Amino acid sequence: MNVGKTQEMVYEMKVSAVMTRDVITIGSKERMSRLRSLLQGNRISGVPVLEKGQLVGLISIEDFIKWLANDQEDCAIEERMTREVTTIYEDDPLVLAIRKFESTSLGRFPVITRDQKTLVGILTKGDVIEGLLKKLEIDYQEQEARHFPARYLFDNIEADDTSLQLRYNVKGQDFTQAGDSSTRLKRTLRRLGLRSDLVRRIAIASYEAEMNLVIYTEGGRIRAEVEPARVFVEIEDSGPGIADLEKALEPGYSTAPEWVREMGFGAGMGLVNMKKSADEFIIESEPGRGTTLNVSFRINEEPHEVN
Amino acid sequence: MNLEDARKVLDAEVIVGTNLEEIDVEMGCGADLMSDVLAFGKKGSLLLTGLTNPQVVRTCEIAEIVGICFVRGKRPPEETITMAREHSLPLLATRVPMFESCGRLYYHGLKGCSETKE
Amino acid sequence: MKLTELVETLGLEVRSCSDNLFKKEVTGGYASDLLSDVIGNSRSGDLWITLQAHVNIVAVASMKELSGIILTGGREPDEDTIQKAESEKIVIMVSKLPAFELIGRLYDLGVRGVSNKTS
Repeated sequence: MNVGKTQEMVYEMKVSAVMTRDVITIGSKERMSRLRSLLQGNRISGVPVLEKGQLVGLISIEDFIKWLANDQEDCAIEERMTREVTTIYEDDPLVLAIRKFESTSLGRFPVITRDQKTLVGILTKGDVIEGLLKKLEIDYQEQEARHFPARYLFDNIEADDTSLQLRYNVKGQDFTQAGDSSTRLKRTLRRLGLRSDLVRRIAIASYEAEMNLVIYTEGGRIRAEVEPARVFVEIEDSGPGIADLEKALEPGYSTAPEWVREMGFGAGMGLVNMKKSADEFIIESEPGRGTTLNVSFRINEEPHEVN
Repeated sequence: MNLEDARKVLDAEVIVGTNLEEIDVEMGCGADLMSDVLAFGKKGSLLLTGLTNPQVVRTCEIAEIVGICFVRGKRPPEETITMAREHSLPLLATRVPMFESCGRLYYHGLKGCSETKE
Repeated sequence: MKLTELVETLGLEVRSCSDNLFKKEVTGGYASDLLSDVIGNSRSGDLWITLQAHVNIVAVASMKELSGIILTGGREPDEDTIQKAESEKIVIMVSKLPAFELIGRLYDLGVRGVSNKTS
């Protein structure tokens, strides 16, 4: 745990942020006999006492035990309660509450408003610890989910136009390496902080394209360009090209040889999958010259949101 | 269902992976074609496949599949096992054929990928 | 179980040789996208679940005397696949469901992927 961070938090966080709001109270004129069921039923060790809505005392389990040990004669709560109540204001910082716990060795403080002194909650040590832990966890998650730190990078670059380019060379006919470029691209985009569903879509498109380069060509290049609002991926080769583009885009159309199919590829879904994954998909091909694919993906307006 | 539950249903052997009960399996996906895994498989699925080449591991990495179970007694080659270890991707192997494997898992409550929202 | 029952229950669409629906008896299921695997391991009477849509599937189904082919995930058979299926009397059906779910539902209807040793 980051100690500096916790110290900061105890100064910044208010009592109202961690206190228990749903307070069980008892009226000053109610009977001691009623306290038993209240304490038992709710597993609490002390109850604030109210008179006309104002806090007038606190009756604790110790007070109750004393009463049990002595006379047990039923009487009003006000006769047995502690009138000297140490309270804390709802807008006090947690650090004050912690000091108060230490100096008084009390287990709980009723929380009141500064102006009207009305009771708004109760604070125990447990509340403070739980509240701090929750805040730490949220902060941690927010840090984890602080999406697209690349945006931060972009925000600090003074230029009319900025982009980050990632280039990968793909070897043709090399099945052992096939997919490696897309896996690395995926990891990199993750590190740049793009939303995970977006990264997955980009990776799928790039992987399909990479497999095509491996299966059908002597090799090619994948170039990914990350801009503030979109990711653009270009895959090009100088391979055989595609004779009938329209047909190539039909699901299931494939010219792959049987051995490629037996490896689980070449089922005629590659281009279809790419198109499905991308926000924009452009393919250009000339037989004998090669093929260029341009796929682009929008980075959502709300890049900070966790999906 | 977790991966250990799935393993029991298929009476599968563990090739790579530990603490399978800590890995949640949300959906099942049965395919021998990698494009189909990419098209239909969703994040958090278990892949059932008869293919054992290393590309299967890569595909799962790309598609965020949580584990692979090789069906009908297929054993993966060493390269596949090495790659799965590198990516911490659990590998199981069962003698049960694909049809029966999918059927049993479905019967035990594992959903398919079109029934679950991403 | 007759093919026609499965077609009705699962909402399958028939793409070839529909007159054979009442004749073909489904005795089991086999799921694979690898032709060599189907040739090697499927049993006669199996209903074949696959994503392969090209013409070779018809020859395999005919040779292994399978009861029919269901293409999953909304995949459509090629035109020459349909023609070949008509001439070879192979019923090809299509389903929008991914393989896993279609198999699961066939399983629920009693179609099994392993031989029933008690019978």
